[in-house]
Amino acid sequence: MIRMPIKERPNWREQADDFGFKFHTMYGKAYWDESAYYLFTLEQIEQGIEDPTAEVHQMCLAVVDKVVNDEALLRKFRIPELFWDNLNQSWKRGDPSLYSRLDFAYNGKDPAKLYENNADTPTSIYESGFWQWLWLEDNVRSGQINRGADQFNSLQEKLIQRFSEIYSKTDQPYLYFGCCKDTEEDRGTVQYLEDCANEAGIPTKFVYIEDMGHGEGDLFTDLDNQAIELMFKLYPWEFMQREEYAGLINKNATQWIEPIWKSVLSNKALLPMLWKMFPNHPNLLPAFFENELDNSISMDIVKKPIYSREGANVSIIRNGKTVLDTDGPYGEEGFIYQAYHPLPKFGKNHTLIGSWLVNDQPAGISVREDKAVVTQDMSRYLPHTILN
Amino acid sequence: MKRTKSINLGRMRKTTDRLSLKPISLAIASITLAACSDTRQASVFRDANECSFQNPGLEEECQIAYEEALKDASDTAPKYQSRRECEAEFGNNACTNYNASSGSMFMPAMAGFMFARALDRNRYNHSPVFTSYNSRSPFYGDWVTADGYRYGSNRHSTITVGNKAFKPKPKVTRTMSRGGFGSTVSAKSSWGGKKSSFKGGWGG
Repeated sequence: MIRMPIKERPNWREQADDFGFKFHTMYGKAYWDESAYYLFTLEQIEQGIEDPTAEVHQMCLAVVDKVVNDEALLRKFRIPELFWDNLNQSWKRGDPSLYSRLDFAYNGKDPAKLYENNADTPTSIYESGFWQWLWLEDNVRSGQINRGADQFNSLQEKLIQRFSEIYSKTDQPYLYFGCCKDTEEDRGTVQYLEDCANEAGIPTKFVYIEDMGHGEGDLFTDLDNQAIELMFKLYPWEFMQREEYAGLINKNATQWIEPIWKSVLSNKALLPMLWKMFPNHPNLLPAFFENELDNSISMDIVKKPIYSREGANVSIIRNGKTVLDTDGPYGEEGFIYQAYHPLPKFGKNHTLIGSWLVNDQPAGISVREDKAVVTQDMSRYLPHTILN
Repeated sequence: MKRTKSINLGRMRKTTDRLSLKPISLAIASITLAACSDTRQASVFRDANECSFQNPGLEEECQIAYEEALKDASDTAPKYQSRRECEAEFGNNACTNYNASSGSMFMPAMAGFMFARALDRNRYNHSPVFTSYNSRSPFYGDWVTADGYRYGSNRHSTITVGNKAFKPKPKVTRTMSRGGFGSTVSAKSSWGGKKSSFKGGWGG
């Protein structure tokens, strides 16, 4: 695993315009960064990342299986009681999931350590599945990168296949896609997934989350008053379960992607549960609930809200003192604690590996860098290759 | 190879701003059946009796098709706030009450149902059709499905259809309120006035 400087493609910004990649630069700062890339060996990819991803994912599913049947745990996960039955049934029915992203600290040598599981609304899928793929194609064509180079990235292929499987088991006229207004990144992410569904031959419609309506017969409706009965939503379950239409979720048969059981999988309370069920697993960091904190007193720890996104409201506590605190709007549902295990540094950069799964299968990685030790939403995205 | 083998780049290009295109509900959709290879003949019947009379031995299939078509018509027909609005599209006395739990709405009455042997030959497909008696309506004198596709003059009781004709149609209903999702986002993104350093996505 090496950080390799490389020349930027001269025309990549025009190409980004052409392909509608609008969020490569945000607030005047680069988000997509192709001034360098990460080079992995096939062994690092397969044994270091791919195999642990598949294994950790199965361990996470084992946690879900335990939690959905245990009221005390559902309470610990801060899932409103109103949804316990629905969630349990959704899990037992095997409501299909599309994708997830596991975040790992990995330095190319030591076992990858799981930071968290983004199982409900993961983003950076466009950059991973399409844009870094195109970057490699272009650089191989121009001779900057060896023709034998590969990339761990079968995302687009797998997404198209998975959409096709999910849709073929429904009798719905459309697959809906939705996200919030005023966010170019989320809109671009959802457009990408919609493109993948269209490539699978599925008729789709888009609706903003804020525009959804409550229709006669307790249906969700779009702006044309048509019922929404099959929908990919880039909107967190923990928000939906606490908003005005929460009650409606249990009253109709709308099929959601991701399904409601993902509110267990994407919950940070998953981390202490994993450590309890699989103690000392090489790919896990010790993690604890608030009331178990005595156990970890001798180690440096990170305090994370049960519900949070993009590194918000995270504190690092060393020798009992808070040494770093990030701002954010989260934390009202409580916190969990995870052993402090800083990201590896490559030059001045702290590097985080996002490892994707589609339909429970490892499907590729994304690499993000940050100057700060906690990766936040303004970290940069770098492409990668596999040395052949 | 551990990466996607090929990508349809044409699909990925966004030369026109597709994001701003808004779909329309009862659009006038035109069909180009000539271009379709999987076309077949379907009959249009006004009710179960007419269907049974012309298909001896299929009385039960006709009855089921009629009843299911009536239910589909109620679910999928366009809905109007007033009888006047509905009749402006479909003609005098062509509309009926739609039973909404909060107040009444109006929808065109089912004018008949398409009936055809399914492609696997063992079942029968059906779909409700409507028609307009208002000469100023684009649907005047035609068989129309709930999604706005026209299938030729209502003087014909045999029509040519593609597979799309029997696909499920979106349910159409009255929306009683909007905006019940999304409030957490406006609350969280206004937190601490930090929006300038926060790119505002809710994924992770």
